[in-house]
Amino acid sequence: MSTLGPGSDTGRGSDPLLEVSNLTATVEGFEVTHGIDLEINEGEAVALVGRNGAGKTSTFRSIMGLTPVANGSIRLRGEELLEMRPELIPKRGIGYQPESRDLFTGMTVEENFRLPIWTAGEARGIEDEDAVVEDVFDLFEELEGRRDAEVQNLSGGQGKMTAIGRALALRPDLLILDEPLEGLAPVVVENVKSYIREIIDRDISVLIAESNASHVPEIVDRMYVIERGEIVDSGDPEALSSDEEIQLLMQGGGE
Amino acid sequence: MLEHVLNGLYYGSILFMIASGMTIIFGVLGILNLAHGELYALGAFCAFSIVGFVAGQVAAPTGPATTIVFGLVVLAGSLAAAAVLLPVGGALEAAFIRPIYDRDEVYQLLLTYGLLLVLTDVMKFVWGPSPVDVGVFSAINEIPTTELVGFSYPSYNVLVILIGVAVFAWLAWFFDRTKTGRIVRATAINREMSTAIGVSTDRMFTLVFAIGAFFAGFGGAMVSIGPSSASLGMGLSWLVLSFVVIVIGGLGSLKGAFVGALLVGVSSRVVTPYYPQLELAVPFLLMVLVLLVRPEGLYGTWGEIQ
Repeated sequence: MSTLGPGSDTGRGSDPLLEVSNLTATVEGFEVTHGIDLEINEGEAVALVGRNGAGKTSTFRSIMGLTPVANGSIRLRGEELLEMRPELIPKRGIGYQPESRDLFTGMTVEENFRLPIWTAGEARGIEDEDAVVEDVFDLFEELEGRRDAEVQNLSGGQGKMTAIGRALALRPDLLILDEPLEGLAPVVVENVKSYIREIIDRDISVLIAESNASHVPEIVDRMYVIERGEIVDSGDPEALSSDEEIQLLMQGGGE
Repeated sequence: MLEHVLNGLYYGSILFMIASGMTIIFGVLGILNLAHGELYALGAFCAFSIVGFVAGQVAAPTGPATTIVFGLVVLAGSLAAAAVLLPVGGALEAAFIRPIYDRDEVYQLLLTYGLLLVLTDVMKFVWGPSPVDVGVFSAINEIPTTELVGFSYPSYNVLVILIGVAVFAWLAWFFDRTKTGRIVRATAINREMSTAIGVSTDRMFTLVFAIGAFFAGFGGAMVSIGPSSASLGMGLSWLVLSFVVIVIGGLGSLKGAFVGALLVGVSSRVVTPYYPQLELAVPFLLMVLVLLVRPEGLYGTWGEIQ
């Protein structure tokens, strides 16, 4: 059996896995989201779709405790994350791939996978470090040959995969991916999409930010549309991404 | 000439023990610790008390065997003196430096300068205003190491050079190979991302500051056991030189601190006997030269592509 499933017992309670309500995040004192409401259930894959600057990254950073929050609540299985020291959030089971990748340069791909296990492995119930690392390499086959490469020497796609793999290595219950497909060559986009589908198949809940709505229906069960820091629509990704109004909005025509 | 080079290596080894902590603290915490020279002085005073005490418990050396025992006792005492700096460094970081990470550099400089003054006064209060000397230097030099190769040079200085190399090797191993060392590096490279994988950056910062304080204290212990004594104000000139060293080596670079310290040590000790008036100028000339050719210093810090 794969060691890459969720680290926590995913028995379904009455609470959703993650519940963001009325979230107002700030950047340098300015409110960048205005009362965001989001819900992700156990095992669900959800997309947050919106243009650049709509508030996707700020929402994700709030969930990870990296950006100040003026108002609202973020609950993981009913537990308030806003009252928690930020380093405990990954230990509670959220893996995070930031938009800018933020790999630990000067270290190898393998070291980047091992670091989260060293810091959060115990909290995530990881007993066999090597097995988890091998599983991440099994998933991202093309990183296998680059195992000992320092991460600054990777291609864009490999870097993105390393960032996702690093988030996956702490056996998250919820994986947050910020624009995992952005800036990649079309062939690589298809690869990364299939990796994300594989991750979802392993019962890990996924929250993805995307600025391109057309990618989304192939990956997720449900999507939210975010515009100027507010959720403006949500529902079935197939229907929403073909909705003309949404398409206009995404192209910047919704002014 | 060889003697001057050895003097330079001795001097450089001590300088490295101070500069290594300064550069690591700068690389990880982003703080230029002006109180670092006082941590070095505190190590020297602690060595006076602790080494003085333990050396008094064993008989003065009478032959090679007893000298080795005596030397080991002194070494253990100096490690104990440096170990005093672990909790002191950790507490200083947690109590005073932690609240100002998000502030402007000016506040950080003012605060560490304030710590410098307070530490000096604490040492004056505890050990008094006059220099103090452990007085074990000549006893340790009973072992004639260099005379075996037909050359007269204090064994103690040779030992300190070897210890300097060992400290560098240990630090390099710690940051390259151990889990904790690599977590510290990750914290230095990207504070936010390391938080997002579960690193308590507070804890890492305290650890790094304590390690830096430990080696500064160890350097101080080496000096006060050696030909010099522990005195108030001894930290100041070493602080300035350490700053020169880490600028030459590259801010935040451990390897740079090692190479820089040996360069500064050897060049100043080789030039000074012939041109004494250049003693202070040589390190700065070296710094100017390096800055002209490589403004970022000889080596990059962790995570920078070299």
